[in-house]
Amino acid sequence: MASVDLALATISFKRKIAYKTTWIFSVLFGGWSLLAGLAVWSNLIGDGEMGGYDWQAMKAYLIIGFLTSTLAWAGSDWDMANRILDGLVAVDLTKPVDFQRARAGEYIGGMVASVPAAALGTTAAVLIFRPAPPDSALAAVLTVVSVLLIFPLAFGINYLSVLTCFVTQRFLGIQWARDTMLAFFSGMMVPLALMPVWLQATAWALPFVHFTTTPASIYLGRVGTAGALGLLAAQAAWAAALWVIGRLIWSQLVKKVTVHGG
Amino acid sequence: MPILEARNLTKTFRRPDKASGFKGAVKHLVQRKYKNYTAVDGIDLSIEAGESVAYVGPNGAGKSTTVKLLTGILRPSEGTVRVMGRDPHVERIPNAHDIGVLFGQRTQLWWDLPVEESLKLLKHMYGVSDADYKARLARFDDLLDLGEFMPALARTLSLGQRMRADLACALIHAPKMVYLDEPTIGLDISVKDRLRAFLRELVDDGTTLLLTSHDLADIEEVCERIVVIDKGAIAYDGPIQQLKAHYITTKAVNLFLEGPADVPALAEKFPEYAWAAGEAPSEVVVTYESNRFTTAEVLGGLTAQLAPRDLSLSEPSIEDVIRRLYAGELTK
Repeated sequence: MASVDLALATISFKRKIAYKTTWIFSVLFGGWSLLAGLAVWSNLIGDGEMGGYDWQAMKAYLIIGFLTSTLAWAGSDWDMANRILDGLVAVDLTKPVDFQRARAGEYIGGMVASVPAAALGTTAAVLIFRPAPPDSALAAVLTVVSVLLIFPLAFGINYLSVLTCFVTQRFLGIQWARDTMLAFFSGMMVPLALMPVWLQATAWALPFVHFTTTPASIYLGRVGTAGALGLLAAQAAWAAALWVIGRLIWSQLVKKVTVHGG
Repeated sequence: MPILEARNLTKTFRRPDKASGFKGAVKHLVQRKYKNYTAVDGIDLSIEAGESVAYVGPNGAGKSTTVKLLTGILRPSEGTVRVMGRDPHVERIPNAHDIGVLFGQRTQLWWDLPVEESLKLLKHMYGVSDADYKARLARFDDLLDLGEFMPALARTLSLGQRMRADLACALIHAPKMVYLDEPTIGLDISVKDRLRAFLRELVDDGTTLLLTSHDLADIEEVCERIVVIDKGAIAYDGPIQQLKAHYITTKAVNLFLEGPADVPALAEKFPEYAWAAGEAPSEVVVTYESNRFTTAEVLGGLTAQLAPRDLSLSEPSIEDVIRRLYAGELTK
């Protein structure tokens, strides 16, 4: 990582933590969603199991869902979108940095700012609710790798959604559509194992599944070592593919950039 | 070789052609229509290294669009631009290393961080050495009093402070070519004066400057050459002094007489001048052709015969000339 990437990530990190109240709210709200999820699933599962998850496994799944959703939604997609919609992208284009790399630095810096909240919330949840432990030490390590891969994956998906602002001139609808797809197909909302087979197949064909289902499946041992490595390879491939798609789309959009006014 | 050369530079935008009202909105939803709008229309512009050029025109004339084309932000619909031999749009990153840009209405400061954080980030972006960074900041502090608000959050700055900080951001890497798009917009007189003094120093140091402004004092005090653009096309391109010499052919003197001024009688008595009533009953405005009469001749004759109790001289400003150029009263 070049010093300018690090500098951009640091700036973004500092901007995120500059708003202390917002930061504390995000921690509290994230914690509230986890508590609500635990209450609902505890009632649904009871002493039995659903989709292959008993109560211990479901607790682990929900805590992983809390961790991954906190990271996935921590970036600065609205900042990026607003710069395009307000025309500040004109200023960005006068800087001697690659547009996509600069936005990646900023985005990931913003995500890093959410790590303390995510780590704190996850640790507290593990200590309080005592979920199922990882299937093995290797599964634990591979789960961490999968969680780390969420950083470039989240950037790829968010960057592509933000680029649509050049065409749509609005971001709200795109953001809603993206977040709904992410929450649904990642398994954050409902584990994929509880969905119809055709919907599971659809989810596995999309990148969103690697936000929650992949790390949770590795952690709980629902896939063997080879399967886990395959999932990580697919997750990394999606991150790379989204990066390349972003580059291709930007190379066309930059020819059509329109910034009106002084 | 010019540092900047644009040939037949044209930019056409597509705009929605939508009727007003509910019916128009629904019709546009079903059947979209667009109209092409030419913001910049075949501009030829050549700027030599070290020149200071004012780029002026009425609102919507195409000034900012031209700057965006020259800086590589926008891609021309037709024509070519070369800045230091490069196409600024195709070779955006190398070009950005050598240029400085300030958009008066768009800040490059990070809104929620101290000013010094934005400058440090730009230091990284441009690869400015620690020694150069310190030396340039010290100079900016001398000329722009940056030090007083360097630790302040950008969103807490006054407009004048924000503009000075933005100017430092645009110049921290000592660019060879600087584009300033309305750098004094909304500033008070003292800040404007300070900015103009700074820009004069910049030009004296050999930096090439392209300045757009609605404030014609910026232009007269900072630039030697003026390019007037109207409806996307160049209406005048030449030295400011030449523009004045060519178009400012009359001067005026306001005479304050002892009693009420009888304008028709005066016009009859001195038919070589143009006469008009002033704001006060005793005031009269005499306009004369500066290439036919010297001011001394005019004043000598009129004071001897009319014995005014007071008088004042007024010379048409560049603003008057440009206003008349915009209005189509003058031609190239």
